[in-house]
Amino acid sequence: MIHFKIIHRILGVLLLIESGILLLCALLPVFYGENDLFGFVMASLISACCGMTCMIVGRSSLNNESAMTRRDGYIVVAVSWVLFSIFGSLPYYLSGYIPSYTDAFFETMSGFTTTGATIIDDIEAMPHGLLFWRSLTQWIGGLGIVFFTVAVLPIFGVGEVQLFAAEAIGPTRYKLHPRISISGRWIITVYLLITILCAVALRFCGMGIFDSVNHAFATAATGGFSTKNSSIAYFNSHSIEYVITFFMYLSGINYGLLFFVAFRGQVRKLIEDSQFKWYTFMLLIFTVIVAIGLFISTSYNAPSSLRNALFHVTSIITTTGFTSTDYTMWPPFLWMILGLCFYFGACAGSTTGGMKSIRIAILSKSMRNEFNRILHPNAVLPVRINGKVIPPSTRQSVLTFSIFFFALVFVGWFFYLAIGIDIAEAYGISLSCLSNIGLTIGYHGCNIPWSDMPCIGKWFSTFLMLMGRLEVFSVLLILTPAFWKHR
Amino acid sequence: MKIVIAGAGNVGTHLAKLLAGENQDIILIDESEDKLSRMDSSFDLLTIQESPVSLRGLKEAGAGSADLFVAVTPDESRNLISCQLAHMLGAKKTVARIDNFEYLQPKNKEYFSSLGVDSLIYPEMLAAKDIVDGMKLSWIRQWWEFAGGALVMMGIKLRKNAQILDKPLAELGRELPYHIVAILREGETIIPSGNDTMKAGDLVYFMTMKKHIPHIRKIAGKEELPDVRDVIIMGGSRIAVRTAQLMPDYMNLKIIESDMARCNRLTELVDDSVMVINGDGRDPSLLMSEGIQHTEAFVALTDNSETNILACLAAKRFGVTKTIAEVENIDYINMAEKLDIGTVINKKKIAASHIYQMMLDADVTNVKCLTFANADVAEFNVIEGARITRSLIKDISLPRGVTIGGLIRDKEAILVTGNTQIQPGDHVVVFCLEGMIKTIEKYFN
Repeated sequence: MIHFKIIHRILGVLLLIESGILLLCALLPVFYGENDLFGFVMASLISACCGMTCMIVGRSSLNNESAMTRRDGYIVVAVSWVLFSIFGSLPYYLSGYIPSYTDAFFETMSGFTTTGATIIDDIEAMPHGLLFWRSLTQWIGGLGIVFFTVAVLPIFGVGEVQLFAAEAIGPTRYKLHPRISISGRWIITVYLLITILCAVALRFCGMGIFDSVNHAFATAATGGFSTKNSSIAYFNSHSIEYVITFFMYLSGINYGLLFFVAFRGQVRKLIEDSQFKWYTFMLLIFTVIVAIGLFISTSYNAPSSLRNALFHVTSIITTTGFTSTDYTMWPPFLWMILGLCFYFGACAGSTTGGMKSIRIAILSKSMRNEFNRILHPNAVLPVRINGKVIPPSTRQSVLTFSIFFFALVFVGWFFYLAIGIDIAEAYGISLSCLSNIGLTIGYHGCNIPWSDMPCIGKWFSTFLMLMGRLEVFSVLLILTPAFWKHR
Repeated sequence: MKIVIAGAGNVGTHLAKLLAGENQDIILIDESEDKLSRMDSSFDLLTIQESPVSLRGLKEAGAGSADLFVAVTPDESRNLISCQLAHMLGAKKTVARIDNFEYLQPKNKEYFSSLGVDSLIYPEMLAAKDIVDGMKLSWIRQWWEFAGGALVMMGIKLRKNAQILDKPLAELGRELPYHIVAILREGETIIPSGNDTMKAGDLVYFMTMKKHIPHIRKIAGKEELPDVRDVIIMGGSRIAVRTAQLMPDYMNLKIIESDMARCNRLTELVDDSVMVINGDGRDPSLLMSEGIQHTEAFVALTDNSETNILACLAAKRFGVTKTIAEVENIDYINMAEKLDIGTVINKKKIAASHIYQMMLDADVTNVKCLTFANADVAEFNVIEGARITRSLIKDISLPRGVTIGGLIRDKEAILVTGNTQIQPGDHVVVFCLEGMIKTIEKYFN
């Protein structure tokens, strides 16, 4: 059974929250005296009206809220991401800074899914309010819209389990506290802490307050929206690059583990975690490969090849998408290596996208087992993560996920080829949208040339971003007929 | 001494037999009439058919006045509860058999004694330790450490290539770096004197210090034997799991288990370095494909003693140098020895001897039950004025079948000869025929 009344009520509440956030953003135009105030106020009003309507439709569901099912959870999660993007794009559109609604929606979806691909050609010409809203969409989307709102404002009381389950990232769940809403608040605390520390560190490195807050949002969410046209390269500061690298790396770690390190002092728990080890190991290996490649094939000296390699590999593995230089100017061999990193993603339970290192770990161990099985046909070969055997069902779902992921990359690739995009770029865009990175590879630069893309390409990209962000199944599930059958 | 044993399983009955022979008051509690009647009719003990966790049953058995209460049912939680109840009723000392490694950790000891459980024994753990010790020094059949490893005793099977055969012990030399404490020949234990000789096929027990081990390896003709690196265990029992956990990192282990469900469980219990194989460990083609020819040690740990013995014999034919079999059927132990199986592990004996040491009156800290030789090894702390300190060893008329292997004085190990003078404060290791410990105690008290 699908309980439309409950779904309406929850979506109504979420929209009211968004309306509130939009209204808060309206303070910035007032402060800076810019002309985007109208857009924010109107957007806030419209979403408040829609939210109210939804609440009224779902009002009689108050007494039987506990009846919320898993299906309801999946619908709420998928629909809320779309709704948030629809209403979140209104400020851009209504203020007239992004005249096409397709572009405005794309920009918002790219923000919420922490992809960081931007449609805006001249970012620096945007008013402060819109820039702040743009970074804020990433920050809200970093841990997940529903997660963020529910954990910050525990308004539902029930149904949280279903909602969190539908939005959760990664094949295994990591509970910090028996009560899911309390774990949620702890994780938000870690998130807040990282953001504040990052903003302070950036401020110390000489960034302005407004820029440092915006970049801190985009870094902690591993989103990659910058307030500058040339991304991090604008600042031309090594210390800023290192600070951002460090915080991107931090945001790629499982937040549950970060919580134990930050508030319980259990560093050992982090160091012994096999997912963390895989993440760090892959990061270091690719950094070394790219650094050596850069040193040999370009005019960079040793420290700057290392810095550039570290920054870009971290930016891509954590699916952030900041750039400090145009890496497509490097030899194609090196950007293909970076293109490989597009798949990985960091730890499950972080703000990153991609396949997640835990899946890579399970996949590679399964592969090794296949070879062992040929040599030892009778051997019972388990896949262990953190010393625990992964149940066959999880193994299977990881394999299925990977197949879906690869299949979607190819579907996307063919689609972009069909609408006339260069072969290397089409591959980069498809993978980058699905992994929520926002960069591409190819001879036209590392930023995706959105202005050349027809509308259908942009809509398709938003769909890929959402699929990637909700880990494929949550979106595909509600597109299956079986989901809607009353059984 | 009044001893109550709860649980007439393998360990319980063996312990009861052992103790009944020592003229102790043994009371055996179990729910099963079958198990009890078998014991009741053939041994000098009292049986009570009651649940070991019922207060009425424990009172009837007189657990309240027991000097030692031993709970050895198969279920660890029942054992713990049974011990707590007995302690509450007034038992002086309680021992529980457990299955959980965590409980053994020293930091938990205080908690368990506050519950009324004084000692914990974990037979599988003890057995696993014996197996791993046996594989680390594969040319040694049995191995004991005394006083934290200062003195070691090892049982070695002498083959034709040993250098010390067919000479009376007295002619081997005066200041030997070892002391031969027992010889096992065709099922008979000899506590040797200067006139005895060693023959090929004898199992000889050497007492020595760790630094002399290479010398003994040389004179025993064991230098060309390879060290154990690859190990196959047949049967994924609890002992196998413990063995896998205790095994040093340089050894590669494969566990062959025929039950698929158990295989899956095993993968959760052991770590990545151990390969679990589903199949029958007696199947030669499976063993071949898993590389039995390159394996140095084969350990058979299935529930079935006959299977274990036969599998070890088959492994010997493939050229495995070290074979270890778990033989739970005590009557088969001698046979297994005759069939030339390297080391025989018997959980019951290990557990029973462990408990046995707890009830010796004297200040004994370690009595090991030797599976092959019908002998006990005991450690004594010599007290002021003990009979043994009054003259040189050769002048004290120790009873036949007793020999003093070595002693620890001021943390240094000394091998004992006839001219040694034992002093108060020494820590002495004594080797004697089975059941003689009580006799020896009076020399030390």
